[in-house]
Amino acid sequence: MEESAIKVNRSRDGRQHGIEVSGLTFAYLTDPVLKDVSFTLEKGAIGLLGPNGSGKTTLLRCLLGQVPLSRGHVKVLGWDMASQARAARAGLGWMPERGGVIPGMSGVALVAYMGELSGLPSRDAMQRAHEVLHYVGLADERYRACQDYSQGMKQRLKLAQALVHDPDWLFLDEPTSGLDPRGRVSILELIRDLAWNKDLGVILSTHLLADVEAVCHEILVLRSGELLARQTVDTHTKQAKQVFEVEGFGNEEAFIADLRELGAQFEPDGRLLLVTLDLSRIPEACRPEGYDPTAGVNAILKVAKAREYALRRLRRRPVSLAEEFYRMVEA
Amino acid sequence: MPVYERGYTHWEPSGRRANPAWFVIARRGVIEPLRRRWLFLLVVMSWIPAIVKGGFIYAKLKAGNILDLMGGGWTSIEPEGFLKFMEGQRFFVFVMLAITGAGLIAADRRENGLSLYFSRPLGLLDYIGGKVLTIVTFYSLVTLLPVVALCVFSYLIAPEATGANLLLLTPLRCLVYCLLSGTSIGLVLLAFSSMGTRSIFVMVWWTVLVSGTETIGAIAKGLGQDTLQAVNFLGQYHNAGTLLFGAPARLAISPWASLAIVIGWTALALWVLRKRIRPVEVVS
Repeated sequence: MEESAIKVNRSRDGRQHGIEVSGLTFAYLTDPVLKDVSFTLEKGAIGLLGPNGSGKTTLLRCLLGQVPLSRGHVKVLGWDMASQARAARAGLGWMPERGGVIPGMSGVALVAYMGELSGLPSRDAMQRAHEVLHYVGLADERYRACQDYSQGMKQRLKLAQALVHDPDWLFLDEPTSGLDPRGRVSILELIRDLAWNKDLGVILSTHLLADVEAVCHEILVLRSGELLARQTVDTHTKQAKQVFEVEGFGNEEAFIADLRELGAQFEPDGRLLLVTLDLSRIPEACRPEGYDPTAGVNAILKVAKAREYALRRLRRRPVSLAEEFYRMVEA
Repeated sequence: MPVYERGYTHWEPSGRRANPAWFVIARRGVIEPLRRRWLFLLVVMSWIPAIVKGGFIYAKLKAGNILDLMGGGWTSIEPEGFLKFMEGQRFFVFVMLAITGAGLIAADRRENGLSLYFSRPLGLLDYIGGKVLTIVTFYSLVTLLPVVALCVFSYLIAPEATGANLLLLTPLRCLVYCLLSGTSIGLVLLAFSSMGTRSIFVMVWWTVLVSGTETIGAIAKGLGQDTLQAVNFLGQYHNAGTLLFGAPARLAISPWASLAIVIGWTALALWVLRKRIRPVEVVS
């Protein structure tokens, strides 16, 4: 790699890079949209999940300092957003869900303009605009008037303008909104690359669970303005109790009796038998990063072999983020 | 390494100086419309009266005062004559500002552009300052620049007849007048622009404000209702401007009253802008 490709972000200095929110309550008019929200985030890929109207966009606006904060404290990159929002915004990139494309400008002019407004010198802004438009895949379209862009291109353009000043954090509001499946996958790949390989913090606000699963390592769940839960996306692999689908024939009573000695619980589900195993009771399953579900499978296989119970089907029932999300929201 | 192979790279400051946000906004606001040829043509057309006046001034200074018989101050090289000239440019002021100013905030509101602007390290003053500067620039293109050019031209053809007053004081008066009136007119137009999302509606309101009030003022003058002349929007600026140029009042009301009216609606425009320009639309 050539020397020119190795650059140093201006904000990679001694400043804090995290986000701290404490006791944030916010109302546009009278009814609070956010109620006593508190959390601390370190850089990473964070999913902000919640049904429509749960306060996701408002929370992002609070993090950007776009709305006056009356109750609670928000600190971003070490700046107090009630009084120092302008300084903080030099290190933040914002991709709005609606609009955000100023008509009458070419793609490259719009991105360079936004770069200049973020404090980049004129020539640097133009150079960065070309770079980020290449990165998001709009190199060939950069001189076209942006109002003529397709929906997918507009989303990429909005991502480019959010990136032009090389922010520490990217706030993305429904970035895959209105995209076809192919466009959705490609923009999620870009976001994932930024979050996982380029050292940018990303907050992805969406109600599409698959988007969060594809990009994020941690989620915040909002419901009616309250922070309902905060957990890692792979939480289900860290849970001790895991469910296995079993189907077979043979000496079922003996098979069940032996598994019961391992602390298993049983529930019939049509032709299937759902076996809930507590992996914390199986020493081979315990690992520092979580529980190894293959150890649970191996334990069942071992019992089945010992009791000559012929298995036709054995698999761990996946716990999807969607199930977790709906369980939390509907609880 | 070619840019297309580089992927995403972090930005390293080059050490060049960044422009302030208001300047960036104003520069874009001026350059983008001027790319349209017909607008450029309109600017050129707005200079025709200045060229005509320049011709008259040349003839007067070279051929004597016979041309003073002409009305309308076309040959005047006194400060009052230049104020009259700027007054005569009101058609171009009206058209130029309608085209370039109506959509300045309305378009941003329509496209959710305010959210983009206020996600950057800039404040309300930068935003409004940049937009006002755009309007003041176009206003000056059709008023201040021709006047200054005329002053310089007159001085160059007959320096002994005009003196330093025409080279320094008159352009200075015009500069102050254009900056103050342009800023006030710009704020009023921006206030209209901030109240809608469609440029066409802003243009309609602007037409009502400029042409409508001027028509009402003219009818009132014809009917002898002098106080009703106070509704003339652009007339108030010319009337107040007489204080600066030492000229007789244009309207039947005192220039000081006109100045107070202008200050009043400028303050109102600022209040509207303060209320309307927000990154978030709140719908009750």
